[in-house]
Amino acid sequence: MSYLLLTLLLLPLIGSVLVFAWKNPASKYLALGIAFAQMLLTFYMLTGFDFKPTVDGVLQYEINYPWSNYIKSNLHFGIDGMSMLMLLLTNILTPLIILSSFNEKPGYRNTFYGLILLMQFGLIGVFTSLDGLLFYIFWEVTLIPIWLIAGIWGQEDKKIQFTTRFFVYTFVGSLFMLIGLIYVYNHSASFTLTDLYNADLTSGAQTVIFWFIFFAFAVKLPIFPFHSWQPDTYTYSPTQGSMLLSGIMLKMAVYGLLRWLLPITPEPILGISGQIVLVLAIIGVVHGALIAIIQNDSKRLIAYSSLSHVGLMTAGIMASAILTVKGTLMIEGGEGALIQSFAHGINVVGLFYCADILYKRFKTRDIRQMGGLARVAPKFAVLFMVILLGSIALPLTNGFVGEFILIKSIFDYSIIAAVIAGTTMIFSSVYLFRFYAKAMFGEGDEEVLASAGDLTGVEFSVLASLVVFVIFLGIFPQPILDMVNSSLKFIFTSMMN
Amino acid sequence: MSVLIIIFLTAVIALFAGVFEQGKFSRYIGILGLMIAFYVSFLPEISFFSQYQHMFEFGANAALFTKIAIVITILLFFLGGFSFSNHRNHQSELYALMLFSLCGGIILFGFQNLVTLFLGVEILSIPLYVLAGSNKTDLRSNEASIKYFLMGAFATGFLLFGVALIYGSSGSFDLYKIHEFAVVNPKNLMFILGAVLMLVALAFKVSLAPFHMWSPDVYQGSPSLITAFMMSVVKIASFFAFFKLMTIGFLGITGEWINIIGVLIIITLFLANVMGLAQTNVKRMLAYSSVSHVGYLSLIFYGMNSLSSYNLAFYLFAYSLATVGVMMCLIWVEKLKRETSYTAFNGLAHTEPILAVAATVSLLSMAGIPLTAGFMGKFSIFAQAIDQAPFLVLVAVLGSAISIAYYLRLIMAMFFPKESSFKTSERVSLTYNIVAVFIIFALVTMGVFPDLFAKQFGL
Repeated sequence: MSYLLLTLLLLPLIGSVLVFAWKNPASKYLALGIAFAQMLLTFYMLTGFDFKPTVDGVLQYEINYPWSNYIKSNLHFGIDGMSMLMLLLTNILTPLIILSSFNEKPGYRNTFYGLILLMQFGLIGVFTSLDGLLFYIFWEVTLIPIWLIAGIWGQEDKKIQFTTRFFVYTFVGSLFMLIGLIYVYNHSASFTLTDLYNADLTSGAQTVIFWFIFFAFAVKLPIFPFHSWQPDTYTYSPTQGSMLLSGIMLKMAVYGLLRWLLPITPEPILGISGQIVLVLAIIGVVHGALIAIIQNDSKRLIAYSSLSHVGLMTAGIMASAILTVKGTLMIEGGEGALIQSFAHGINVVGLFYCADILYKRFKTRDIRQMGGLARVAPKFAVLFMVILLGSIALPLTNGFVGEFILIKSIFDYSIIAAVIAGTTMIFSSVYLFRFYAKAMFGEGDEEVLASAGDLTGVEFSVLASLVVFVIFLGIFPQPILDMVNSSLKFIFTSMMN
Repeated sequence: MSVLIIIFLTAVIALFAGVFEQGKFSRYIGILGLMIAFYVSFLPEISFFSQYQHMFEFGANAALFTKIAIVITILLFFLGGFSFSNHRNHQSELYALMLFSLCGGIILFGFQNLVTLFLGVEILSIPLYVLAGSNKTDLRSNEASIKYFLMGAFATGFLLFGVALIYGSSGSFDLYKIHEFAVVNPKNLMFILGAVLMLVALAFKVSLAPFHMWSPDVYQGSPSLITAFMMSVVKIASFFAFFKLMTIGFLGITGEWINIIGVLIIITLFLANVMGLAQTNVKRMLAYSSVSHVGYLSLIFYGMNSLSSYNLAFYLFAYSLATVGVMMCLIWVEKLKRETSYTAFNGLAHTEPILAVAATVSLLSMAGIPLTAGFMGKFSIFAQAIDQAPFLVLVAVLGSAISIAYYLRLIMAMFFPKESSFKTSERVSLTYNIVAVFIIFALVTMGVFPDLFAKQFGL
């Protein structure tokens, strides 16, 4: 059975090499084919997946080969419910992201698609590795392709400055995580996940390691004071780069928080550190939403909205973690964060794509200069609206389930915190409806509108696929909750000891 | 010892080959001789040479480092040819001098006696004083030569005075006798003073700050191929000598010198990385980067264990390969553009993709990005030192964080412009592409399969 996982891991790597080598415009079809095969393989793996294992946190499709005796590290991969959810997210979104760029024609396209597949390889590695060093390696592997995508195809005038800042920020964060992991490794038998969980660490060391590893995740998410790279990078990257970054890549940090940080260093959560993180996350929720309200640049608006949503996920995780470490097993925060990761991935990719479609029609990202598109593009107006409602967390859309559970878990910890964090639902409707109203209704430049036209086939298929997920998960979220339940129980229980 | 003799004979033959032609033969003679030497280094030592009055021991570590140095020198010889473009005459002497310098390096790998150490340092350095100035018409090259010579002379002074004090207190030149003396008398003031003086001398040689101030000028002024040789082979040899002297000879008084090294590491990492960030010239940036790598390497003195010398070898090999990978790109750009600022590299990836990818992988390796050898090297050194010197590891991490910015600048110059600034009519030779592919392959293989290197070198 483990060959399935091995194929899943290696297919994008081999695919990216092939696409790099094949300098032909048709290479985009090869890239799409590989990403699509990847998606089908993930669905096939889902059919053989045990949703309710008898032992909590049991790993399926496990691969374990010795890699280096010298470093006591193994090629250890495996999937539990949490990983499976993230794999689904990655492999559903990647083909859509590749498809979404089919209408564009800047140079060196095969390199572009090769980099996206390489990125997919890194992401699958992050979500399946069960060895600390492998996790770190894949974590860094994802950085190079996205950096090149942002740098080569980004907006010409400012890309050097912002891509450098993005790279340096995330690299510094990762280095701190590496130091933290090395320290834990020196006090455990090997880099294997369970060995790291059982490492013999003093309370003081745990606090330092907590902050070191947290720093990497905080930059990637991003959490409030570490976010200054994010709006600029999201804005000046090409659309596909923004989609990869916000749709999938930041979920690495949510996943990392649950899988790697909290179980390795449970003690600081109980102390002041856990509360600081919770407070920072809630500040991020309000801060991001308030700034999004005054944005006129469509991509920037989405970037800040993403900051706000991510803050809520972190706050939910931390609230449940604090309660768990105190003695009552609570996994709601984790459940909410994971289902919200999935939903947010779908929604934010949709929003960025809508912003891109608007940019193509109006040749500007300034929402004040748009208007009236709903008249000439009814299909777009409907699909955009559904995605928007998902993002606002309207009941029966995918966003609602996650936000509800998250706010409930924060409520369990502190009512005041829940009230403040809950404002995200109000604010997000303010800024997103403002965006929608300016772009779709009102008076528009008649010349632009006349030539704008409705969605093309590619655009329609991408948006429609996303909308299917928005509605389906809103009505029927139970499978995802079942899927992550057992792995979260395992993780939160190991924090209690 | 037989390796040393083979390389010495190769150098002499290469030197005399220059009488009959203008340097073509000597390059190939050099490559052939080095390859034979590389092969011989895997064979057991001929018994006739194995006893050498306790002056020279060719043990497992020495063999390992010799192999690394030979591989790097072979790569550099492949890159030769047009890199001394200013003076096509008298090239054979330069190849011969490089080989003589390598002989000095091999003596350093096997030294067991302070006299051998001194001999090795001098045989390593004196050819370099000439090589640094071999671009005779270039003022910078002349400056480099004289600066290097003066600093080398200083370092020799410190080294000899240190040796004299050590001999005066312990009564022996033998490394292991010194070791025994230090273990028994850890508080002998004359001995400690001698050890500190030798530390300073070798800090000059490996360019640990604040004894590094000669290196940016010398590295920039020398012909690029020689700079690559100094950054790689010379650094391997002098650092290994430093390592061996401190960890065998002065092991008994580690407490007396380890803090000095700690201070030097902090100064080095801070100064070199900040200065590297400020450079506009790529060659000078690489010089500062080279200084900063000595800083990371010096963490090897913390948390020593049985794998330390292997970690050192791994790091040095990874770093040297990466240096060759970037320098070959620089040599090519310098030939076409006659300068080495960042803008000179604009769009290189469009005309010379293989060369640019080799340089990129090398730079990522230097920065310590995973799946490259540099990451494994940094990882093992950090993991070794973190329990004993967490603060220094933190400083090293911050140093790496600064360094990534200037490495990225070069990658961005090569990849990010939409147009190439190079004429497509001038293409790099096949040899260069082969060396580039070898470097990419080696760096990635070492990064992905770190155990393979261990098996290759019998560990």
